[in-house]
Amino acid sequence: MSVWDVFNGKTRFLEDNMNVDKFVYTLGHGYEKFFNGLKEGKIIASKCSECGVTYLPPRIYCEECLSEITEFVEIKQNGVVLGYTIQNVDKDGRHLKEKVIWALIGFNGVRGGIFHKLVGVEPEEIYVGMPVKPVFREERKGSINDIQYFTKTV
Amino acid sequence: MARMNINFKNRVAVIGAGLTLFRRRMYETSRELAWEAAKQALDSAGLTLNDIDAVVFGSAPDAFDGIHMQGEHMTDAAGGYMKPYTRVYVGGGTGVFTAIAGWWHVASGLFDRVLVVAEEKMSPVRPHPQFVFHHIFDPVMDKPLGVNLIWIFALEMARYMYKYNIKKEDIALVSVKNKRNALDHPAAQVAAEITVDDVLNSETLVWPVQRLDISPVSDGAAAIVLCNEEYAKQYTDTPVWIEGVGWSLDTTYWTNRDLAFPKYLYYAGKMAYKMAGIDNPRKEIDVAEVYDPFDYKELHHMEGLQLARKGEAPILTREGVTQRDGDLPINPSGGLLGVGNPIAAAGLMKVAEIFWQLRKEAGKRQVAKDPVTGLAQAWGDLMQIGTVVIMRV
Repeated sequence: MSVWDVFNGKTRFLEDNMNVDKFVYTLGHGYEKFFNGLKEGKIIASKCSECGVTYLPPRIYCEECLSEITEFVEIKQNGVVLGYTIQNVDKDGRHLKEKVIWALIGFNGVRGGIFHKLVGVEPEEIYVGMPVKPVFREERKGSINDIQYFTKTV
Repeated sequence: MARMNINFKNRVAVIGAGLTLFRRRMYETSRELAWEAAKQALDSAGLTLNDIDAVVFGSAPDAFDGIHMQGEHMTDAAGGYMKPYTRVYVGGGTGVFTAIAGWWHVASGLFDRVLVVAEEKMSPVRPHPQFVFHHIFDPVMDKPLGVNLIWIFALEMARYMYKYNIKKEDIALVSVKNKRNALDHPAAQVAAEITVDDVLNSETLVWPVQRLDISPVSDGAAAIVLCNEEYAKQYTDTPVWIEGVGWSLDTTYWTNRDLAFPKYLYYAGKMAYKMAGIDNPRKEIDVAEVYDPFDYKELHHMEGLQLARKGEAPILTREGVTQRDGDLPINPSGGLLGVGNPIAAAGLMKVAEIFWQLRKEAGKRQVAKDPVTGLAQAWGDLMQIGTVVIMRV
């Protein structure tokens, strides 16, 4: 029996939903340092004293050796485009009037990076390895959107 | 009795264990909790992550902490970065099943040293995890009734009381014992000195289930380290061997189960006892951590595990047999009723407790007798799986 038979009255169905109001996600000790940093216009990473790996966003443990990480460091904000994509349609399939460029931004000597919007760059001129920097909002509240976007370093 | 019903290559030892605090709402993320337990377990075994060949992780429904594919979200924190990593999930039975899955990783000869981590963060979902539990029921047969998870327990408890003529006072003794035992547990969330009257006077939720019959909602993590015999001898003078594992599922139709006797556990226990060469569980098990999300479930599970005859567990409890200084200490940790119930972590906490008891490292919780053989058990899926691990020194 096809599901379309439902609409011909041949069978019955029930509807329900997961009656969960919301989820409350704590930042935890690692991400808290990162978001507090953004509020101050800084990018904060964490560094494992055993392996020397610097993690962005910061974690309180090292994935290489599971040591506790207590050292948090501000990193230089000059990044590079590691990869990018150009969004033509939104998640409902509607065409966007203005294309949005999304990029994975890497930083020297850092494991990880930041995925964010790239603005002030024409699609034709982007390349992997392109130097970029973050543009912070005037009013910041400790969110990933405290960075308005990344743009090319002049 | 034939000693083995499963073919395996290696004997498996537990050589370390770790545990976070159990609390109603933790600020630490799921990952941070899992890492803390994993790191503690490695440290206690004297190993580093380099020594670990594979990782097994367990947690219950993703809908609690609101991260879909939660097991995969946890890989780095559980030590699984660039390693063979497996998530297991059998509802409330997960904690002990995680240890069983870790066991077969090593017993099969596929891996030598395995880190086993279980974690649960139930606090993110609002208004309450009960709203998630509602969706384990049959969507067209049960859910339209507005069924609540506690209904199952209330039916079981009432049926158990009716069949064996058990008084609520005797069931309440379990809650009193476990909450008192938990006073000696550094991770405990709801340890307390309470009386039978406190339980009987607490709010009735779904008769006969009252507020103090139930374990709390919790966040927390636990971990153990497993290895084969060759490595166990290298690493420690006091390995604790996993001698038997068992699991079994009853029917999914809750209308079709024997509510007075947990058959799922009877068969899981039989499997584990056969492997461990145990003929008389009541005599040969020295200490047990049985699954106690509700006080009557400790009694139910003792009987399912043949640690008591049918209807006899309340009598043993009343006579003090199940106290820490009794002949058959049950839940010396304080169990879920006292330490707390971060689902998967609570089950693995029970395995860790037996590890500490058999190594005589349980401190103030150490049972009076000299324990050689211990058992940890959990219960879950759609209230139909029993998971059992038998350990020996």
